[in-house]
Amino acid sequence: MLSEYREVFLEELEEQLQLMDEEILKLEQEEDCSQVVQSLFRAAHTLKGSSAAMGYDVMKNLTHEMEQLLDLVRSGKRGVTGKLIDRLFYALDHLKLLKLDIVDGGGGTGIDISVCVRQLRSYASGEETDGETAAIVNGEAETETKAGTGAETGEFGGMEGFKAQEPDFAKPPLPLNVRLKAGECLDQGLNVHWIFVRIAESCAIKGARAFVIQSGLAEWGEVLFASPEMEELPEQNGETADIAFLHAGSGRSPGDLQTLVSDMMDVAEARVEAVSSEEFELVQPQLSAALPLEPAMSAIQPVRNEERGAGTSAKGKTQTIRVSVERLEHLMNLVGELVIDQTRIHEVERVQRRRFNDPSVEELGHISDHLSRIIGDLQESVMKTRMLPIEQLFNRFPRMIRDLSRDLGKEIELVIEGKDTELDRTLIEEIADPLIHLIRNALDHGIEKPEIRQSKGKPAKGTLTIRAAHEDNQVVIYVIDDGAGIDALKMRNSAIGKGVITEEEAAYLSERESVELIFRPGFSTAAVVSDVSGRGVGMDIVKSHIEKLNGLIEIDTAVGQGTCFKIKLPLTLAIIEGLLVKLTGQTYIIPMSNIAEIVRVTPEDIKTVRGQSVILLRNQVIPVAWIHEYFRLPKPEGHKPYISLVIVGSAEKRLAMVVDELIGNQEIVIKSLGSYIGKVPGIAGGTILGDGSVALIMEIAGLIGKIGGKGAVSQGG
Amino acid sequence: MQASGQEQYVEFGIEQEQYAIRIEDIHEIIKIQDITAIPNVKDYVKGVINLRGRIVPVISLRCFFGSEEVPFTKSSRIVVIHHQEEAVGIIVDRVNKVTTFSDIQPPPERVGGVQGSFFTGIGLAESRLVGILRLDEVLLHE
Repeated sequence: MLSEYREVFLEELEEQLQLMDEEILKLEQEEDCSQVVQSLFRAAHTLKGSSAAMGYDVMKNLTHEMEQLLDLVRSGKRGVTGKLIDRLFYALDHLKLLKLDIVDGGGGTGIDISVCVRQLRSYASGEETDGETAAIVNGEAETETKAGTGAETGEFGGMEGFKAQEPDFAKPPLPLNVRLKAGECLDQGLNVHWIFVRIAESCAIKGARAFVIQSGLAEWGEVLFASPEMEELPEQNGETADIAFLHAGSGRSPGDLQTLVSDMMDVAEARVEAVSSEEFELVQPQLSAALPLEPAMSAIQPVRNEERGAGTSAKGKTQTIRVSVERLEHLMNLVGELVIDQTRIHEVERVQRRRFNDPSVEELGHISDHLSRIIGDLQESVMKTRMLPIEQLFNRFPRMIRDLSRDLGKEIELVIEGKDTELDRTLIEEIADPLIHLIRNALDHGIEKPEIRQSKGKPAKGTLTIRAAHEDNQVVIYVIDDGAGIDALKMRNSAIGKGVITEEEAAYLSERESVELIFRPGFSTAAVVSDVSGRGVGMDIVKSHIEKLNGLIEIDTAVGQGTCFKIKLPLTLAIIEGLLVKLTGQTYIIPMSNIAEIVRVTPEDIKTVRGQSVILLRNQVIPVAWIHEYFRLPKPEGHKPYISLVIVGSAEKRLAMVVDELIGNQEIVIKSLGSYIGKVPGIAGGTILGDGSVALIMEIAGLIGKIGGKGAVSQGG
Repeated sequence: MQASGQEQYVEFGIEQEQYAIRIEDIHEIIKIQDITAIPNVKDYVKGVINLRGRIVPVISLRCFFGSEEVPFTKSSRIVVIHHQEEAVGIIVDRVNKVTTFSDIQPPPERVGGVQGSFFTGIGLAESRLVGILRLDEVLLHE
């Protein structure tokens, strides 16, 4: 059962942790916290339920503690303080560690949560003196194992929620199949009981003991369900272990069973509760929240809106389902095949029309037209299913910035705009690292320390704005700070000092170009390498990463006022706008994002400078590349009066590529050539054109590196 | 060698010689299609084709074995095989039939002008000798 639901559990866990992250941050900012606390409480409760169902006890225990504490906060018994927030974050970090452990295949048992639990408890108990918490809680822990007597521990102390007299065993949630089975047993007139057993702390191998007990129970009926799993029981001495069995049998009253079980070896305590059919019905709605309804549904599970809390966002109200990315990818491929077949049908129809004059051919034409419209819509819809709001990524920033600004001793106000902007999910993943780098840079180098800011007449609190928006057919992300800005002169001198450029080169650089030196490899303006930025990953990596995504990055800066980084990205990675060109009869595609302009020149315009063909375009010398030579294609015959040149650029390098013919531009779906062919220099991949043939997509940055290496000059150089 | 007799092979020809591939490794056999050449790759990699929306590389076995290139004929075929989760097309002069071998001998050092390691064995069927291709060697050859 575990592996089947593990995936769904992890998804839910991720979602709930994200929610907690946001909500805890809100606690810090908002005046009225009751809603936020409520939603946190619900999240902790949900996780407690599902982790218990999955048998992840450590997580269950931690979430239980969080739930207890939040319950007190909710009822106003404990206040919302900075310490509470720290404690909750600390607990959240542990939950994240547990999650990683579970993802790695561990049972979430390798993480020590004792400190964290102690902290939560000490806050809950009202003991807020920081240093001595450990001592106090240790004492508390001891009383607890002996079924504590103090009113305080009774209220929120024990892991399993002990009461002073009668041990209170928690009923584990039941999966649907067990509930159905139990229902059947009741219908057959069998007695169904919850049998709770506490194995004594002196027992050395609790798992084995539990197994013996289970076999014993099986003799008097059937064990429908046991929780936790036998393997999950703690092995250490000095701890009791609780197990709950759901037992169906006939002829024995709860009292009989209780006596029988209590007499077994190593059983410290036992309790038997009769179960009525109503219980299963009552439990059901709550449980369907924690577990998928049936195995077949596990891949597509309704997102439980009501569980996400009213406070999250209005977006949570829309009806959604979870679909695995694989399925979407598959769908996308199928649509791709449809498109190709459709163009074929169209072709056949044209041939038929020429040959026959028949109403059925007319009909075929209508069908073909209709089909192409529908397939077009289908393609667009499938494409949209891959889009996600950038919220997914942006939600990670508040916590990160909170921690960073603390470490750096800076005060930052974060403004996030355009969370709803949608883009391809792979793009969201890919853009995360560059964006985080930019934010770290802005915090570290951009925004000044409060004292400095005040001495310059700025508010002590710096503002960092992260904004996403759709502009034209692109997504634009801004990272704006109101910090020190980038000083062009300083950049130039620093670049000369580091040997990135020569003094000669520096003299030619405009202000803008000087600022853009930041993107050169081996350049970092930080005088002090801090932990935050300057870990050897420079802005050049950011830039190349963004260019790899067919994106662009621009800087706008004013000394003393701040810096704005603008990242432009295509809506999706899979589809690009390309220019179709012909080289010796074969179609190639040049990504539009790399094209600066297209010019037509006469053969006389192409000059030779030291063996390199160049053209002079608006006083700029641009090397000319005979792409045919590089691709080892025969050069076209004959002499044409004009030569078409496509001027392409990557970073500041320009190259004029000679092409035989320009066909036009169109949107293309990028496909990999597969690992058998592997990486081909100068080729980024392939695409299937409307006529079903394969066309290769040029990789401009690579081509410039290869061909232009000897001759490509920088702009204005 | 592995048990013979039961296993089925697809037998195909290049020039006068016969070769075979285990039937489980074969995805499908298609007629020659438009092949888009890829610049700056090995000679025997002829390019890529569109196999119902998938881009599939094709190699020429003739060229791989160092024989002279000839234009495709009516009987030329692309044998699409499944290799390490990916489809690869192999151009052959003709596809003969599905066959079984009564006996499979270990390959000699050289088969014709070709390195013996490209074969898992030499199959005997009705007095014909058929080279059974070792796909890992052929496809991962550097």
